[in-house]
Amino acid sequence: MADAERIASKQKQISISEFFEKNKHFLGFDTLQRAVITAVKEAVDNSLDACEESRILPDIRIEINRLSGDRLELIAQDNGPGIPRDAIENVFGRFLLGSRFHAIRQTRGQQGIGITGVLMYSQLTTGSKTRVTSKIASDSSAVHVDLGLDTRKNRATKSNERRDLWLDENGHEIEHGLMIRTVMRAKYQRGRQSVHQYLRMTSIVNPHATIHLTVRGLDGEIIDDGHWIRTTEKLPRVVEEIKPHPHGILLGQLQRMLKETDERNMTSFLRHGFSGVSLRAAKEILAAAELDEGRIPARVKAEDAQKMVEAFQRVKLLAPPTDCLSPIEEMLIKKGLSKAIDSRFASTATRKPTVSQGNPFQIEVGLVFGGDLQAEGPIEILRFTNRVPLMYQQGGCLLTKALESVDWKRYGLDHPGGRGLPKGPAAVLIHLASTNVQFTSEAKEAVADNEEVFEEVRRAMLEVGRGLRNHLKKSSQRKKAQEKFDLINIILPEISRKTSQLLGREEPDLAPVITRIMNAVFLEDEIGWDKHSNQAVCSLTIYNYTARARAYTILAKWPEGEGVAIAENPRGGRKETTGLWAWRLDTLDPGQSAEIRFTVSGLSKGDWTDAEIFFRGNGDIIGATKIDEKLLDEMRKMEALALAEAEYAAATMNESIQRLVERTPVLETSGESLVVSSDESVVEPSNESQRMINNPEDLRQWTPAEEVNE
Amino acid sequence: MSANGFSKEEVIEALHSIAGEMHDNMTKGQPPRMTLPVRTKKNIAFDERLGVYKYGKKMSTRDATSLGSARQLLRALHVTEFIEEMINAGKSSTLREMYYISEGWGHGKFGSQNESNNLAEDLEIVTRCMREDFKLRPEEDGARIIGNITFEERNRRGDWMRINCRDDVGDSGYGVPYNVEAEKLRLITHDVDFIMAIETGGMFDRLVENGFDESAHCALIHLKGQPARSTRRIIKRMNEEWNLPVLVFLDGDPWSFRIFASIAYGAIKTAHISEYLATPSAVYLGIRADDIESYDLPSDELSSRDIQALKAELSDPRFADSEWQEEINMMLDLGKKAEQQSLAKYGLDFVTDTYLPEKLAQIMGR
Repeated sequence: MADAERIASKQKQISISEFFEKNKHFLGFDTLQRAVITAVKEAVDNSLDACEESRILPDIRIEINRLSGDRLELIAQDNGPGIPRDAIENVFGRFLLGSRFHAIRQTRGQQGIGITGVLMYSQLTTGSKTRVTSKIASDSSAVHVDLGLDTRKNRATKSNERRDLWLDENGHEIEHGLMIRTVMRAKYQRGRQSVHQYLRMTSIVNPHATIHLTVRGLDGEIIDDGHWIRTTEKLPRVVEEIKPHPHGILLGQLQRMLKETDERNMTSFLRHGFSGVSLRAAKEILAAAELDEGRIPARVKAEDAQKMVEAFQRVKLLAPPTDCLSPIEEMLIKKGLSKAIDSRFASTATRKPTVSQGNPFQIEVGLVFGGDLQAEGPIEILRFTNRVPLMYQQGGCLLTKALESVDWKRYGLDHPGGRGLPKGPAAVLIHLASTNVQFTSEAKEAVADNEEVFEEVRRAMLEVGRGLRNHLKKSSQRKKAQEKFDLINIILPEISRKTSQLLGREEPDLAPVITRIMNAVFLEDEIGWDKHSNQAVCSLTIYNYTARARAYTILAKWPEGEGVAIAENPRGGRKETTGLWAWRLDTLDPGQSAEIRFTVSGLSKGDWTDAEIFFRGNGDIIGATKIDEKLLDEMRKMEALALAEAEYAAATMNESIQRLVERTPVLETSGESLVVSSDESVVEPSNESQRMINNPEDLRQWTPAEEVNE
Repeated sequence: MSANGFSKEEVIEALHSIAGEMHDNMTKGQPPRMTLPVRTKKNIAFDERLGVYKYGKKMSTRDATSLGSARQLLRALHVTEFIEEMINAGKSSTLREMYYISEGWGHGKFGSQNESNNLAEDLEIVTRCMREDFKLRPEEDGARIIGNITFEERNRRGDWMRINCRDDVGDSGYGVPYNVEAEKLRLITHDVDFIMAIETGGMFDRLVENGFDESAHCALIHLKGQPARSTRRIIKRMNEEWNLPVLVFLDGDPWSFRIFASIAYGAIKTAHISEYLATPSAVYLGIRADDIESYDLPSDELSSRDIQALKAELSDPRFADSEWQEEINMMLDLGKKAEQQSLAKYGLDFVTDTYLPEKLAQIMGR
């Protein structure tokens, strides 16, 4: 122990700035190009998190101005809650590792060391101070202050502080918000790894945010800009914090919990300190670890703790709850993608939350196709973990590997040799939401291999792939049908007119010719938007171009859901199952057509663009698919099952609320601290209100260990 | 005004019969259609009587059951109407002009110039008229000729103008008009032993500069790559009316073989009028595949497109005889091609002093 102390005290003498300098690579400031991206990233992550917590729809403005000598001025402004005057120093001035680092829930800010790093970098490279302007709603004026860092004392130094009104460009008073202005040595670049791309990706997974970027050159000319306007007013839902699950616990963490807990005996420690542990499971664990149920947790020795860790893997446990995850949700993925990418078709898949090694995770995938997307070259991959874009190390990332493992040729994309990225006018978004994302390295840019995550991503890919295949099949069918319609409605009558004119003969009756040419039943579908009623309008027209009378039932898929309902539907019909409506049509004689028209309320424009139409009856319909009755039965069963599940969930929800009421707060994670040293047997709880790294060595070891431990 | 002597009325009637077939189909409740020979190498055959390759018996039906074919039919009707108007107004237009005029034809407009050229040929085939009958002329200019031969060409004022292709022309030679039929061009006299057709402008100019027309006592004609109809037609007329041998001097590559075939046997696209355009007695002088080795000529590797072209030629009926099969296979084995101008390796006069005299001697000796 004496040795350790000596080493620790020696290490304390290393200045923070030296530490920063040494660890630039995983703090994201290793190159001039990357420094500005990291700075923007820290500012934007903070803004989004702050807005989310305060339930404010974020408006974020990023301004970058080139200065002489490889320097950039960065101005980042948001409309968030602002920071109270007294907290500014702490928020910006210290290497803080806030509560989010060991609360088990999904947050953006698992990466980097926060905004302090930006201040530090600015000061180290240009010697300048960072100007912060903050306004909170309850104050009458804003605080303007210049911040520097005293790296010896590890705190901020304030100067030029004043209170003043804060006005926007129109002269209106800004009610609340935060603005940071800093100067740093950095280079602005364009391309796949750029601020522009980072913000574009961020806007895709944050469809509720409006983000503006303006970049100016040395003469004040605009050299790059981007404007991403929010496509939804819906804020991401507030995520629940959960307790750790035994399957993901390592020895060091268990020891810390044992020391810190307020529980008096082992049974309640296990039941209340962890998720997924029932009373019976707690007893089984303790029996397996040969521990007394009544033992005081703080007195459990290292070797007993080790036995417990082993027992955790043997005893059957409930899965952890998954409401600690915040998926983007399919509709919003579509909206987010449409905000940044002009495409023709979007297919999304949200997998159910799953658990890997005690960590809940969830995969969401969106695929867009066509439109302005480049037909040449590999598709674009947009990787995200917990709504944070990953921009580097694409090839080494599990998300990429899972995408590449799919045989895309089967789904309509060019995939030479079935290896690498498929090619074509497509972009794929992959979002991994997890309480603990495991990365390949401290740089946190590539997700590490994990069989369960891989399999989930792959399944999600297959889902969107099927969507794409159907879309392509349908568009080629639709194109063919459209050609036939052009043929009989435009070209044929013109041929008839022209021949008759040239020869001076009477025009022939074209009806029999048309039947001969078409010899099929066609269905045309169209989904439009009615501005006045704010409803999606779906109209289906069926033409019988055969020589025989036909009778059909037409079924249409529609986006049934909460608040979404069929409004106008003059033809009536009936509900077949959830999201599937059916109309029985009268007999259609040769040459006749019939129309079905219905409107759907509760959607936004663009939510529903692709109709899926089925039919029941004899003889094919071009433009519709014969309904698979077996599949329909399956769908009905699933619906019944979902209903039962929902009822069950409602019942358990009541039960858990009941439990919550009965108990005092279980694990007050925020405000606690953790310091895990390298040999994992020593655990030092501390009571500081915010965790501060005094010893740079701690930070370095702790950061990578974080991925493994939690 | 026609090679085959159709009157205006006959031309219009022939075109109307196409519209008539379509109208009849529709009256019977059938999709309108147009029947014409298949225009690929699979449907050309040697015509014993004419000594050239003509379309065979395979017919294809273009009917309005697909959008593409229906558009073609509509275009044919628009073109018919356009030709009728021109005939009645005593005007003519280039194929390119017709392509642009089709902009006003709505759904009957052409997607590319190639489409309009092909349709003009289709109409020739079905009606047995020639495009001159339709008042359509090509955009492409014909060949240049230098040598001691004399033509009479009717100029714009309608006067006959006598031109000697050695004495009355500059270095660029006599420019062959697009119409070389008797009503426009008369063959008067000549003092040459043969006609040499040359693929590239560079080689034509070399032979002119070296005075090869005088030293070898021949007329030189520049083909400008794939020769235009009028070029092939004037070669044919000189060959037939003056009984002059025709020797063809081309690059040594797969495309030269096709140029030669179009001169000697008839082109696939114009097989319906091969008897007017092809000169069956024409002789391929070079560059031959074995010249590349025996003269050690600078050469290029065959590209994958070249190889594909050669393989396609192996199954082309025009190259079915053993001599051509051997020639093509030799080039495939060699894997090389050479340009005419690669002969310059041995100096500017090598072609006229050595190569061509040797080749001529070989041919005379045969």
